[in-house]
Amino acid sequence: MLNKRTFLIPLCLMMAGASAAGDYRPPEDVLAELIEKSGSLYLTQSEQNLMMMADNPASWTVEEGEALFHEPRGPNNVSLEGCDFGKGPGVLDGAYVEMPRYFADTGRVMDLETRLVHCMTTLQGFADDDPAVKSRHGSNSDMMRLQSYIGSKSSGYPWNPPLDHPLETAMRDAGKVLFNRRAGPMDFSCATCHSESGKRIRASVLPNINSPEEWTKAISWPAYRVGHQHVRSSQHRVRGCYWQMRQGQSVAGSDASIALISYWTDAARGQPAILPDMKR
Amino acid sequence: MKYAKVTATAAAGALLFVSTGAQANGEKPDYTAMTPEALAEYLIFEANGIKLDQKTQEGATVKERQMRDELQTICSGGTRATLAGDDLAKVASLGRAGIVKPEGGVKLGDWKKGQELARSGFGFRVGHNNDDHSTREPGGNCYACHQLDPKEIAYGTLGPSLMNYGKLRGNSQAIIDYTYDVVYSPHSFFPCTHMPRFGANGVLTQQQIADVLAYLIDPASPVNQ
Ligand code: HEC
Repeated sequence: MLNKRTFLIPLCLMMAGASAAGDYRPPEDVLAELIEKSGSLYLTQSEQNLMMMADNPASWTVEEGEALFHEPRGPNNVSLEGCDFGKGPGVLDGAYVEMPRYFADTGRVMDLETRLVHCMTTLQGFADDDPAVKSRHGSNSDMMRLQSYIGSKSSGYPWNPPLDHPLETAMRDAGKVLFNRRAGPMDFSCATCHSESGKRIRASVLPNINSPEEWTKAISWPAYRVGHQHVRSSQHRVRGCYWQMRQGQSVAGSDASIALISYWTDAARGQPAILPDMKR
Repeated sequence: MKYAKVTATAAAGALLFVSTGAQANGEKPDYTAMTPEALAEYLIFEANGIKLDQKTQEGATVKERQMRDELQTICSGGTRATLAGDDLAKVASLGRAGIVKPEGGVKLGDWKKGQELARSGFGFRVGHNNDDHSTREPGGNCYACHQLDPKEIAYGTLGPSLMNYGKLRGNSQAIIDYTYDVVYSPHSFFPCTHMPRFGANGVLTQQQIADVLAYLIDPASPVNQ
């Protein structure tokens, strides 16, 4: 712990200095400010998590991801510095808050995970079924390490997914339909549980998609899930909520999942990202 | 099962809807030329958005589950506050039509069994960690959304508090019949409510609903203490 903190503090200062726009802010500061502004029950529900934010175990995952990102890897033995996340090859500052976005080289709207898979398979040459690409769900997967690192470079930046390309708008609009689409034995849609503030399922306070101050925390993934003791992704959350709804398993990287993430990111527009976050 | 029957009619409609947007040759259609509704259907059913082949507990596949009946389709378009009066009236009548009463009328069951059902969120989950209904019966999960027994503090608030339900309303046959209908198919009274149709969708049996009613209404139930 001590080691990590002495390492992290200068790193944070460096990052803050490097971004002239001054957008980068550590996740615990972003969250504290949002709480002060909104006083939302969802944001404040776990006192224990708030206390632990500065010691978020996901910080380790971020560090491991940073090393992996810059290391030449895969059959082609190149790093991910050549991967374009939307703001140019290797540019990560504020890149994630502007995803999902349209990529001309694939002709698709892609979220962070899908873009990362694209670069690992094309640029680095990993096979689709290589564990580096395929294993996506634990803190010790390359996928979660890399996503955590790339995400962390957007902490404090306001969500700002582009809607310039017609496909970006089409995906966002279809995502809204998917969010409200009621089906299955419980007649649930995402909106059943996420369209009012202060409501609870059992003891969990639910985030409201109509409240950007709450919703930015809801969609700030990667996050360390205390209940799982693992860092989890947006795609993992989508899958989990479909499971809770008693609907079928959402396919990671499918256009349906990306559409949903396009809509949920648009709903947090303008509010600062908390990356990496901690959740229950 | 009731649920499978209802969705079968929706299936034909959903497929028609999808084929208007998708191209027959298997190429990706132009998403920007589709309505958001058509694109959403396409993404689920034609573009591998959801694993449609997996088996469900009701004996069909996920594909059937993802298809909507008419009530679900209308209620996907808004809430009681935003939908047109005609739509809500249609939903209320679909809700009423879905209600099947037990032979010999509705009677209160066993509140202790009802309590178990109210607590249990088991059932119908698929994709990973599938719920095996042969090992345990699915629950109603009332506590996810409602307060009931005043001693239970981990209760949800998406629905109204039902604490003292029977104490406040009495246990007349009219109250028992009304409550049965609400649990069986709540849209008959509250069109496009968030609440599941536990009876009409085959989540709970008539006997299980009778047990849940006892938990709500029986003067001996902890809900009314
Ligand atoms: C039956 C209620 C329910 C439905 C329906 C539902 N969710 Fe959730 N959702 C939850 C619960 C409970 C949590 C966890 C909150 C907690 O643990 O504090 C959650 C968490 C989330 C979160 C992260 C917030 C957090 O703090 O963990 C997001 C984002 C989310 N859901 C999106 C969705 C989407 C998208 C859908 C539809 C595919 C959906 N939800 C459907 C109940 C639901």
